[in-house]
Amino acid sequence: MLSWIVFLPLVGVLLCAVLPKSQAHLAKWIALATTAADLVLAGIMIASFDAASAAMQFVTDVDWVPQAGIRYALGVDGMSAPLVALSALLTMLAVLASWKVDKKPAFYFAMLLLLQVGMNGVFAALDFVLFYVFWELVLVPMYFLIAQWGGPRREYAAIKFFLYTLLGSVFMLIGIIALRLQLGTFSLTELAGLGAKLPSEVQWWLFAAFFLGFAVKVPVFPLHTWLPDAHVEAPTAGSVLLAGVLLKMGTYGFLRVSLPVLPEGFASWQFAIAVIAVFSIVYGAAVSFAQTDVKKLVAYSSVSHMGFAMLGIASGTAAGLNGAMAVNISHGLTTGMLFLMIGMVYDRTHTRQIADLSGLANQVPVIAGLMAFASFASMGLPGLSGFVGEFLSLLGAWQSTGVAAWLVIVGVLGVLFGAAYMLWMLQRVVMGQPSHIVADQPDANLREIVTVAPLVALIVVIGLNWDALLRFTDPAMTALAKLVGG
Amino acid sequence: MTGYGLLIPELLVLVGVAWALFASALPGRDRGAAIAGAALAAVACAAVVVQPAGEALFGGALAFDSTARFARAGTAALSAVWLLWTAARGQGRTREATALALFATLGAMLMSAATDLVTLVLAIELATMPAYVLMGYRRERVEGLEGALKYFLLSLLTSLVMMYGLSFLYGVTGTTRMAGFDLSGAGVLGLLAVLLAFVGLFAKLSAAPFHYWAPDAYEGAEPWTVAFVSTAPKVAGAVAFVRLLASVAATAPVVSTIVLVAAVASMVLGNLAALTQTDVRRMMAYSGVAHTGYLMLAAAGAGAAGYAAAVFYAFAYAVPSLGMMLLVAEEGVLVEDFAGAFSRRPAAVWGAVVMLASLIGIPPLVGFFGKLTLFQAALGAGFAPWVVVAVLTSVVSAAYYLRIVRASFFGEPVAERAPLAPSVAGSVAVAMCVGATLALGLAAGPLLGWLGTAIR
Repeated sequence: MLSWIVFLPLVGVLLCAVLPKSQAHLAKWIALATTAADLVLAGIMIASFDAASAAMQFVTDVDWVPQAGIRYALGVDGMSAPLVALSALLTMLAVLASWKVDKKPAFYFAMLLLLQVGMNGVFAALDFVLFYVFWELVLVPMYFLIAQWGGPRREYAAIKFFLYTLLGSVFMLIGIIALRLQLGTFSLTELAGLGAKLPSEVQWWLFAAFFLGFAVKVPVFPLHTWLPDAHVEAPTAGSVLLAGVLLKMGTYGFLRVSLPVLPEGFASWQFAIAVIAVFSIVYGAAVSFAQTDVKKLVAYSSVSHMGFAMLGIASGTAAGLNGAMAVNISHGLTTGMLFLMIGMVYDRTHTRQIADLSGLANQVPVIAGLMAFASFASMGLPGLSGFVGEFLSLLGAWQSTGVAAWLVIVGVLGVLFGAAYMLWMLQRVVMGQPSHIVADQPDANLREIVTVAPLVALIVVIGLNWDALLRFTDPAMTALAKLVGG
Repeated sequence: MTGYGLLIPELLVLVGVAWALFASALPGRDRGAAIAGAALAAVACAAVVVQPAGEALFGGALAFDSTARFARAGTAALSAVWLLWTAARGQGRTREATALALFATLGAMLMSAATDLVTLVLAIELATMPAYVLMGYRRERVEGLEGALKYFLLSLLTSLVMMYGLSFLYGVTGTTRMAGFDLSGAGVLGLLAVLLAFVGLFAKLSAAPFHYWAPDAYEGAEPWTVAFVSTAPKVAGAVAFVRLLASVAATAPVVSTIVLVAAVASMVLGNLAALTQTDVRRMMAYSGVAHTGYLMLAAAGAGAAGYAAAVFYAFAYAVPSLGMMLLVAEEGVLVEDFAGAFSRRPAAVWGAVVMLASLIGIPPLVGFFGKLTLFQAALGAGFAPWVVVAVLTSVVSAAYYLRIVRASFFGEPVAERAPLAPSVAGSVAVAMCVGATLALGLAAGPLLGWLGTAIR
């Protein structure tokens, strides 16, 4: 089942690869069919998932490279199942959002589908080497998506993205090998119990290695500098998946590996992570204020939002960890939606400068309304999904003994900033008289509305009924909190 | 299997040599010789694969352990792919190139099995002598001859240095069999012996700080000859290196430090120097230095796992490197010659992406498993800081390998240049390298098991 979810997009990649040039316009249909089928599979998986259990489900486990102890092991628990579903959903929406791509479409959609293989795989892998394989697999299609279909500085942004994340992940590779040498296994589930036996000094160093690997991806200050470039230059679908799924790979790494495997390492890093998280919250928000480009504003807001996820992780409490998971999912939905909306505006006006845009509400009320909705969800308005994660992360951090109270207070200020820069952006872009660029532009069409409709629905459902999400994550997070002694 | 039957693969290669030497009197002439050579090398590879492990021959001068089997098969396979390409391309006097390459292949196969100093030296010379000629293959091109001459003189010098060291080794221990060296009481003389022998070997493997000949020699040579010289003998070179290392490491632990220093220097210098190259041959020369550094890092731990990892990595490097150099021979030697290649030959460029990704160490390609096993060996030997250097430099390598990718996809084609028109058999040869890079990665397990850990 999971193998199908992970590798089904590969079928689409192969179909796109053999597509004759004259039929290249069929690529998007192949991509849509593949991702839709994948989403259906993911839906079936979620529906038949036993949310009460903290154990791995849908497990596949066979030898892959027995000589090196590497296994082909897949499985999901309450931590990874929602992320697999998120990845399946956002990829399909990304395909819909890319409907008008006509520059080498077969190549483009093949890369989107290949990206999905990597993303699904990261969340489903239970063997550390397999995890690393998928982790690195993500780099290649994203490199091409940015470098081939991106904005004016795309090649620079693509290389920067590639080298930055590669730099982080090679340290993770050292950590993977070191764990294997110390504990004799690559299995993530086995490591979770064994790692605690390591001497605390070893744990400290290993935690540092994994921190580099994961924190670059999240990203946290000061390892975030690749993100604005990559986000701004990437095509809409690339930004959606970057923000919606790729960043989650970082926080997922902390939750899946760093915390359960290295509890003592976590204990000694806890305070530092909390400081970095809060700094990222405030820094991301402050920089967002200064942006003149809407896309860049949302990109920096990601640094701020992911800071909340990191703060939840740093708390080590069940509430905080659940909060981190909720931020993961919610940020995927809201920021994904924001990037989709910005893409719609850009498709029409060919600008993302706040100064050039105004009066969207008068000219294109549907787009403006959806944009306002996404912004409200993103800034954490109660009743929408963004609030769940931020609230629980802060609550968890407050409860935690390892995170100082003043840090939490500064973090709360971050929520305030978040509301402020989003509202200010809305005020300038949505309100007022339509600028000459905005005037005469058509409103959202049916395809565009269908693209964002599932996101709107999920944002509301999760926002009103927290349990819809938390019943999945809670058993796994409670178990994890016990492991790290939160 | 016992006795001389073990040498059937080498005999097959020798038949290929003979065919090429008398090609003017045989059907098919030039091209026929190359085709026959490719076929015979392929059969030789298959013959090694089906051969069960055998007893040592000639009183222990040649060992037929699993490592030898791996390296002999790998060398023959690389040689067969290269000859297939050459047969398709016909670079002029093809029969000479075929004969030379097969001589070198024969030498490399014997080098893989050599466990006696005299046999080793003879095998190394048999493997490198034809390479001198291949590197200066276009005798009418003066700059090519300069590179070839440099290669010849330096290689001769390093051979002499190595032999000088080996003669001390014999003098101190009284034997030429690699199993029997005991340097524990040899003092300074033993150190001198080891130092000289390994300096020679470092230069042959183009390890820093004795690598300076490689970029100039490669730049002067035709890219298709570089494709052979820089890859096919590499696996055998790695085997000879670890065999000699294993034979002295127990009683002269200082050798481990010597190798480690050279390894770190190679990784750093090779990758940094490759960063600024505009000629792909020079880039591959420097990156070859770096890859040699990686494999030496694993071997420096002086453990069976490290030796096996080093040999495996040599092969994991050689396969994509051969394919890349063959593409360079078709597309042009400068990075900018690749500009616009994607619109001309999308399949070939995708192949290049796969091979370059493997050289960077992106999973699940063969290069990743090479790096995984060797980092594992090096970490196990307690070289954690040097492994950090290794992974950092491999990120640097991504920067220059990506320049080729970038030019291929996004570069503006240069107008006044004419890449070779692709030929079917030539593309098949490159495709075999790409396929092997992928397949050996996905099936790294069986391959690692087959290689075993014979050298201890």
